[in-house]
Amino acid sequence: MNAASPKLAVKELTKRFGDLEVLKAISVDVQHGEFVSIVGPSGCGKTTFLRIIGGLETAASGQALLDGKVIDGPGPDRGFVFQSDNLLPWRDVLSNAEIGPEINDKLGDAQRGKTMKLLELVGLKGFEHYFPRQLSGGMRQRVNLARALAVDPALMLMDEPFSALDAQTREIMQTELMRIWEAGRKTVLFVTHQIDEAVFLSDRIFVFARRPGRITEIINVDLPRPRPLSIKRTPEFAAYVDRIWTLIENDVRVSVLEEHTG
Amino acid sequence: MTEQNVASMSASGSKGAPSSPAAALNFFHARRWSWGSVFGGLALWEFISRVIVGSKLFLAAPTQVLYALYDLARTGEIWKHVWISALEFCLGYFIACFLGVALGFVMATFKSGKQALQPWVSGLYATPTVALAPLFILWFGIGIVSKVMVVALLVLFPVAINTEAGLRNTSPNLVETVRSFGATRRQIFFKVALPSALPFIFAGLKLGIGRGLIGVVVAELFGARAGLGQLISQSAETFNMPNLFAGVTVLAVAGIAMTSGFARLEQKLLPWRE
Repeated sequence: MNAASPKLAVKELTKRFGDLEVLKAISVDVQHGEFVSIVGPSGCGKTTFLRIIGGLETAASGQALLDGKVIDGPGPDRGFVFQSDNLLPWRDVLSNAEIGPEINDKLGDAQRGKTMKLLELVGLKGFEHYFPRQLSGGMRQRVNLARALAVDPALMLMDEPFSALDAQTREIMQTELMRIWEAGRKTVLFVTHQIDEAVFLSDRIFVFARRPGRITEIINVDLPRPRPLSIKRTPEFAAYVDRIWTLIENDVRVSVLEEHTG
Repeated sequence: MTEQNVASMSASGSKGAPSSPAAALNFFHARRWSWGSVFGGLALWEFISRVIVGSKLFLAAPTQVLYALYDLARTGEIWKHVWISALEFCLGYFIACFLGVALGFVMATFKSGKQALQPWVSGLYATPTVALAPLFILWFGIGIVSKVMVVALLVLFPVAINTEAGLRNTSPNLVETVRSFGATRRQIFFKVALPSALPFIFAGLKLGIGRGLIGVVVAELFGARAGLGQLISQSAETFNMPNLFAGVTVLAVAGIAMTSGFARLEQKLLPWRE
């Protein structure tokens, strides 16, 4: 597809939990500077996929290469944004945001300057010395985002970061994420349940299916950037959402039924 | 004075020492039930001991205790006792803190350590080990060593148990977060597990204050050359009730002061908590 070597190359990645095949031979590439979302029904292994790329879990077979290097554990070349903000409650915003550089012995005046800029970018200027418990859910997710950005990762991995927020805050955070992403154009892998969120944010969408977890379709989102929130009400946008929903509808029905029958 | 006035003034003068007569009045007014209860109780005590019991040999009145305290301070005798007891308490307490945190760490970190130590720790924590005080006196003599050992033994287990519980309670999500940045086991311990266990460890240390004080006094009761417990037992033998109560009063004040001082220290060291 692309002549240049991909940022992330995934080759025949397979994962099993006991007898259950969670991911089956996933092969896919992500290009430099691309924003890619992963959608799919519950239990399709999308979060597991992200965690393997993050080095937090190991694959049964196959491999993932980041900038041509095999991923074999966690590291500061990836910034993981977790579903719950996971801020250390005894650290203020600033030192929470700097924990990545701190762990990798990169603290210093230069880093402090960068971190302050990042906090300003995510809209937390003036809150540097607040403790997490003093912040709202949306603000805590901003710190979560700044913390991942602070290691200046080659790849951002985001695991449903807005799912715990209320609907309005979530929409605001989506536009905020777009603004921040436009400023740096990092390569992003973004897992979400919300189809409209995926369409709004992404260049491409990997649609996962379950049992076993695999990619059934890759959708290019050809909507102009920057995208205002109002784009969600255009017919083009609705067509994308509709198409993806049709792709996963059956799977979702089955997974919902399974959840209810245990 | 209207209710509103009272409320606003007590709000401004509720913390620290009262600075003006009006503020002083409010300081008392805001806690009038506490003050009333304390002074009422003391008055009742005074009345019972002077009018109903009527003998210093059985019950000393608060005013007599106060005078005994004054007298003991004037002659300097009380300071000797306070110094010895404080020394015993501090040595035992600090030894127990270090050992307790270390023990808790071993139990939280190594499965074998947990299995080997758990029966002893649980058993000795549940046992009223203060009953072993006479044995310690027998082994280590009537000097301060035996008391330090008793205090250490009493304080050790709540600290160890709380340290272990705190370290075990570390949120796996937080551990995973620092791990995602490539943190080593050592970094995970010092940057996540230890700080998240600190409130638990502090709770154990706070429990240890009361237990340690009991340890000092009981050990001294069984044999000592000086110390508040020795003052108490000696006073009991000579039916010197005012001196006995003076010793108890000093201990009570020390306990209250240390516990509240500890609460303040906690607030200062752990400002991120509610």
